[in-house]
Amino acid sequence: MDSKEKLSDTSDKWLDAYNDRVASLYTFTQCMTLSDIKADGDWKLIIADLGTGSYDMKLKVYKNTNLMSEHTIMDLPTGVVTFYLDTLEPRTPAIAVASGPYIYIYKNLRPYFKFTLPPLEIHPVEQDLWDQARQDHVSPIIMKETLESLRQEGATLTTRSLRLLQLDPSDLDTFIQVQKSAPLKRQTVITCLGTLKKNLADDDAISCLVIGTESKAIYVLDPEAFTVLATMELPSVPVFLSVNGLYDVEYRIVTSCRNGCVYTIKRGSNEAVVKHTIELKSQPVGMERIGKNIYVGTMDQMLHCFTAKGKKLWSIKMPATIMTLEAIDFKPKGFSGVAVALGNSQVQIYKEKYLTDVIHTEDVVTGLRFGHFAREDGTLVMTTRSGSLFVKILKRTAKFEERDLSAGPPAAQNVKLNVPKKTKLFVDQTLRERENAVAMHRTFQRDLYLLRLNVAREYVKALENSMNPHLIRSHRASQAYSSGWLLEQLKPNLKTLFVVQGVGPTFRLTVNLQNTSLTQVSTSLLITFEYDDKLYSFHKKLIQVPMLVPGLMYLYESFIDCLSDKGVSDTVKVYVLKQGRSMPLITGVISMPVSEAVVLS
Amino acid sequence: MDLVLTQAAWTLKTQALTGQVYVDEVEVDEEGIAEVLMDDNVIANVSRPGTSLRKPGTSSQSGPSPGVRPTSQSGRPLSGFVRPGTQGGRPGTMEQAIRTPRTAHTARPVTSSSGRFVRLGTASMLSNPDGPFINLARLNFSKYASRPNLAKALFEYIFHHENDIRNALELAALATEACQFKDWWWKVQLAKCYYRLGMYRDAGKQLKSALDQQAMVDIFLYLGKVYVRLDQPLTAIETYKQGLEKFPGETSLLTSIARIYEGLTEMDNAVKIYKDVLQFDNMHVEAIACIATHYFYTDQPEMALKFYRRLLQMGVYNAELFNNLGLCCFYAQQYDMTLTCFQRALSLADDQTLADVWFNIGHVALGICDHKLAYQCFRLALASNNDHAEAYNNLGVLELKRGHVESGRDTCKLSFNLRGEGFHSKASGVHGGEVNSYHRPVAPTFAGRRSEYKWFLSSEDRHATVSHIPKMSFFFTIGGTAVLSETTSLRFAPSEDRISRDRASGSWENLCDLL
Repeated sequence: MDSKEKLSDTSDKWLDAYNDRVASLYTFTQCMTLSDIKADGDWKLIIADLGTGSYDMKLKVYKNTNLMSEHTIMDLPTGVVTFYLDTLEPRTPAIAVASGPYIYIYKNLRPYFKFTLPPLEIHPVEQDLWDQARQDHVSPIIMKETLESLRQEGATLTTRSLRLLQLDPSDLDTFIQVQKSAPLKRQTVITCLGTLKKNLADDDAISCLVIGTESKAIYVLDPEAFTVLATMELPSVPVFLSVNGLYDVEYRIVTSCRNGCVYTIKRGSNEAVVKHTIELKSQPVGMERIGKNIYVGTMDQMLHCFTAKGKKLWSIKMPATIMTLEAIDFKPKGFSGVAVALGNSQVQIYKEKYLTDVIHTEDVVTGLRFGHFAREDGTLVMTTRSGSLFVKILKRTAKFEERDLSAGPPAAQNVKLNVPKKTKLFVDQTLRERENAVAMHRTFQRDLYLLRLNVAREYVKALENSMNPHLIRSHRASQAYSSGWLLEQLKPNLKTLFVVQGVGPTFRLTVNLQNTSLTQVSTSLLITFEYDDKLYSFHKKLIQVPMLVPGLMYLYESFIDCLSDKGVSDTVKVYVLKQGRSMPLITGVISMPVSEAVVLS
Repeated sequence: MDLVLTQAAWTLKTQALTGQVYVDEVEVDEEGIAEVLMDDNVIANVSRPGTSLRKPGTSSQSGPSPGVRPTSQSGRPLSGFVRPGTQGGRPGTMEQAIRTPRTAHTARPVTSSSGRFVRLGTASMLSNPDGPFINLARLNFSKYASRPNLAKALFEYIFHHENDIRNALELAALATEACQFKDWWWKVQLAKCYYRLGMYRDAGKQLKSALDQQAMVDIFLYLGKVYVRLDQPLTAIETYKQGLEKFPGETSLLTSIARIYEGLTEMDNAVKIYKDVLQFDNMHVEAIACIATHYFYTDQPEMALKFYRRLLQMGVYNAELFNNLGLCCFYAQQYDMTLTCFQRALSLADDQTLADVWFNIGHVALGICDHKLAYQCFRLALASNNDHAEAYNNLGVLELKRGHVESGRDTCKLSFNLRGEGFHSKASGVHGGEVNSYHRPVAPTFAGRRSEYKWFLSSEDRHATVSHIPKMSFFFTIGGTAVLSETTSLRFAPSEDRISRDRASGSWENLCDLL
């Protein structure tokens, strides 16, 4: 119930722009991108579709909601990016699709260039073996045994040799005969793809491609000549890349690897800088970088946030497994956060560690992109496991509050208190406390007993006095009040409030009486006054109080004339009496205000 | 010859009589009810933020929030130092104004032209059974006006002793004319008369003219006072600053600036100026007290303690000071001194302050979780002062904790009523001996820590009340100071660097000795 309500009040931040449940897209976040490839201000959605997973791979381009073009891809795509490779007008970016060891570049939606990763070094023994095989100097059985021992030594073999090792001894000969004449090559596979601006930070500046490969290396490609500008070795296979900076100036590549570590590579370093290694407790399933923070989602349902230096800021547990992450940087609203697609068919949007929105989807989302689409600024494109395509537009009125929708401490608890700095004095006093703890405690306890005794004595005195007007007079506590004097005495069922109003020489004294008991009425009460008759004259000297109904406030008043013009004042006592009792129920001492003299002539 | 001698004797007696009742005009400034409620001098009824003393808190507020540092009824944070005008807030209605206590202790006179000044005059009359020394009705003012020596003494007698402003004004007007408007002293006296009569614009003109002739600290102070009365605090500050250019380091000017900042709730500025004051006069009680109060409410009780101790060393010896020392010791975790200070405060307390001391002891009791002791202390505070709203509030919370919902509710309601109904001075927790402070008030104030009263409003129905209980207990466990108390101010000492570090260690011994 609760979550339904949240759903209804949070999902109103998004407009449903397009739903296509039969788009039959099989793709992931890395294989989707949004780009203005025609330079006409109408941004297209480019998706590399994995097809069935073994054939029918396509590069699809959507204009608005229509499929605008389709290109067949030879192998499974592992990444799609768009980048500018020249300075020609109009500024149309090229599309790069990574697939196997190749990068296919499309310009104006036409095939433009195919880049092949440089071949890797082949183990000399393996090379030697195949050379001999070409000349039939080696028997298939020996060849297989040698290769097998090579593999067990830990050498990396070519795909051809690996295939050979899988074959039955009977097929070996045929295989070798077919393969032996072709040159032996060892190739790797691209695992992830990114772009890096070359020497300008403009949106449409020329960019290099950054490629992570299965051979634990990262390559930076020159966009014009398509040569390798830089090669960096990593301890493990990179799977996610986040690149920023300029190639010619200063750049930083953050990459998370299959071994559960996040490495940072800076310009000039061929190897990941070890001191910036972040070790995750689980394998990463998504990584985004927002500002200086790195957000990593891992397989154990955790979302972590690190600083650029690798210091962990926080981590939160997600309600379900994380499918993918996407950074949301919505400049018109100045909002930046991270969208997390979860295995329970939700997309949650976090601003820092606070959940600000939840989008419920029909199926598990596997691909997420946020950005420009068509003519809209803030568009979220989602593809699901079942192949649907959803497009949502961020409403202009949407506001992401930092309110924390998830359970746990409120956001206010994380606000830093303005605690003053520790002073030297404080430290000194703490020292003193530490050194004399026992003595201080003893003194305090002794004083405390004394204090309790004194308080008890005073308290008893006050209890007695409140019953006795004469004692009240002697007690210093019987202070006087002029205008409002309120006494809630220990007689619990009567409450009084005395108010003196006026500037003089005539005052009005109001006595408010209230019976506070719930059931009992108060009867036969009298109000009378004690005062200096040379100074004051009361219009009513005795007030008979009728029965008091519980809870009601009764007002009795008397005018008082001040007889002196000398600017002196005195106290007046008010007694609430009960017939048949010699002691007043309540005594009030009022110090009268000074009467204003007749205005000076 | 005889005539000259007679005149000398007459002058001497006049001055002697004046001296009996002489009041520092600059310090004493009390707005009467009439001035407050029927104020026709205000330039803008809706002033711009931060430019009016009538709407404190509209400027960029610095310093602790009102939730931490108690404020007076008008919204100004409690000062560390009681002076005329710091006690009463500005009543919103005539009803409130009339009901405000007007005893000899806390009186707000009906108008500033009567009230306290009348009482002074009357008192001197009472002591003179033979009747007045000079019969004003029979004087020929123009004759005296032309004789400067006699006129000045006579003027002061009329002004201070007889408190007859109209005649004083007439004499001053004649005299200034007689000296062809060349004597700045008469212009200042004219301004004083105008000021008393509520003609602030005329007073301002006279003072400015006097300043052109002769720059005097007093004139700057008086001019600033006129601007304050016109509710132009920024102009007043400007005036004081001009004065400071002529008299660098004049502490009375600096203090006046600090007071205005305090009134505008710009506590950081106020404290800065008070620190400047201490650069020039490290025995300035008001500055020390205000700085100490500021530190106390900004969570640095150890600093406050240092300042209060300085006051003690300077010879201030009263209940407020010991109360504040006790509170500071408690919050700075110097427990051994805490209760001793409070005991001392109790023995020194007069009727005005006793309730506050009990209230603060109650707070300490809350801090050590002795609710029974706290209960007794709050009751004792109420025995001393029946309209101590804070004590009612705390008592109500304690009652609720004991499960006495009904009585807790009533008590809290009472507290709310008291606080809400215009018991400005008392309820706001400001207490202190303003009484004897005609010249320079020395008594520090009690400042109070209070919690909010608002949530008691909803306690009309019992369910609401019950549901509030956990909240209250939260107040207690966390703060201990949910509603409490206060401190007084003290005087103090030089800014930090003047109290040398090594003294800090010896200071405890000193304090012990003093106690």
